[in-house]
Amino acid sequence: MPDPQPIPINAKFDDDFVTQLVVVLNTDTMRKVAIKVAHHVVGKRLPKRDADMVVRYQGRVLSADMTVAEAGIAPLQNVYVDWVEKGVTP
Amino acid sequence: MARMKREEWYNIARDVDWTRSYVDEEAVFPEWLSGSGKEPREAWKSWDEPYKCAYSDYVATQREKEGSVYAVKAALQRSNIFESLDEGWKSTAKVHFGAVSLIEYLAVLAEQRMGRFGLSPAWRNMAVFGALDEIRHTQMDLYLAHEFIAKDPQFDWALKAYHTNEWGIIAARATFDGMMMNPNVVDIAVQLPFTFETGFTNLQFVALAADALDSGDISFANMISSTQTDEARHAQQGGPTLEILMQHDPKRAQWMIDKTFWISARLFSLLTGPGMDYYTPLEHRKQSYKEFMEEWIVAEFLRLIEDYGLEKPWYWKEFLAGLESWHHSLHLGVWFWRPSVWWKPQGGVSKAERAWLQEKYPHWEEQWGPIWDTLIQNINAGNMEGTLPETLPWLCNLCHLPIGTAASPHNPRYPVRSYPLTHNGYTYHFCSRPCRQIWWEDKDTLHQKTVIERLLTGEIQPPDEGGILAWMGLTPEVMGDDAYKYKWAEEYREPAAAAGAEGGLHA
Repeated sequence: MPDPQPIPINAKFDDDFVTQLVVVLNTDTMRKVAIKVAHHVVGKRLPKRDADMVVRYQGRVLSADMTVAEAGIAPLQNVYVDWVEKGVTP
Repeated sequence: MARMKREEWYNIARDVDWTRSYVDEEAVFPEWLSGSGKEPREAWKSWDEPYKCAYSDYVATQREKEGSVYAVKAALQRSNIFESLDEGWKSTAKVHFGAVSLIEYLAVLAEQRMGRFGLSPAWRNMAVFGALDEIRHTQMDLYLAHEFIAKDPQFDWALKAYHTNEWGIIAARATFDGMMMNPNVVDIAVQLPFTFETGFTNLQFVALAADALDSGDISFANMISSTQTDEARHAQQGGPTLEILMQHDPKRAQWMIDKTFWISARLFSLLTGPGMDYYTPLEHRKQSYKEFMEEWIVAEFLRLIEDYGLEKPWYWKEFLAGLESWHHSLHLGVWFWRPSVWWKPQGGVSKAERAWLQEKYPHWEEQWGPIWDTLIQNINAGNMEGTLPETLPWLCNLCHLPIGTAASPHNPRYPVRSYPLTHNGYTYHFCSRPCRQIWWEDKDTLHQKTVIERLLTGEIQPPDEGGILAWMGLTPEVMGDDAYKYKWAEEYREPAAAAGAEGGLHA
């Protein structure tokens, strides 16, 4: 089985004020991608919340169990992570 | 022997030129440097500077100005003014010295290029004075900053900054290379003297001079006021050049002004906005950054371009909206990524300062309050890691500023997002539509790799926080930290305060 490949993405989290470089793996699920993106924002610039997160890519909401490779997320692409209460259904 | 009056000989001396018999005109004034474009060469004979200046006048005036600046400095050198200056103001001065000193030197080269390749002898004459001006400005900046190095090593960045890859310096270098080094001299004249010096140096030199005086830094105020008197003169090279351009190629004139104004506005929201609205002590602030921009830049610029028959830039509404938010976003970014700058950004968000910000910017609390509140909670909980970065913001491929800083949270009109563009199979990212459009049109003279791109292509080793800061030239004694050592956050302290709200992450 090939080693997981790093995929640098341009990620934005919810109401944060910038987009950031986050390196995910092609084997990461969207659950893991959300945690990696949130790590740089939640508890730092935005408060923690007891809520689910969703990942959006090219306008699509991605299933939490889908991997980066399955979603077709390519390097340097925009990925948006939001709290579910923003009105997006996971 | 009686001397002739200046007006009797000035035009003849100024217009000395000759027809070359042994070398082609194109070899002496190659189009790629002289940039005449659609303008016939004959058109340049009408170039006429509005401000007449002979060399003897120039030297006498400059000598007086120099004497004044250095006399004030010498008088104050023996005082203990430096020790009494506010740390926030010192940061404003450090930003200026680092970002401006060697740009003055870059302007020497731009003026010399106009002095060599300008197609009018009158223009070349004025450009020589311009080059001498810029040498003087470089010397003054470096000399004044040098005095403070022994007291604070961050002042060493007056000379060092442009020899590093610090991210703000990359943004400034890209802006000024695109304005002064990469274009032909006609485009330089429209971009540098007309758009930048006529518009934006007012911001840096007039506004800052007032803030410096109020903050007690008399020597600095004196220096930049002296600089501005030169700028006001040599900026006038732009007008006659633009007049000729408007007769033969107004579309080119409009584009050069539009793009330069936008890029300059983006950069100054980093270099000047935070200094005016956050670093200058509250009791010394006369105008907000937005108020100053509206009075000195917006009104003046519109009057100026209308005089020449030009239109407002296509992005005007977006620029005006940006006066409400860009510099707040960049201030927050500079403070959060503070180890990556050569000054000490002060938070500037005590309760009294926030009240002032909210009064000046009615959406401030809604857009920026929640983020600062979270940071303040972390400070007061002793969780300093929660106030520091572990990755980089994505940077705009044109202005090199973080993506999101041409927008703001809770802003439906200009939301925080990237404006991507895929070209030859590669995705570039931009902070705004204007940055994307300008890059697309003029990428040949404007493109430089961003820090993110250098990191991802392996230029920065090791590719971690320490490696990035070392690559930027930031050593521990120079890295930025909060100007007041976070004391301003204490008034928010509540018993048993804890960072963030309760709860965990679920996906």
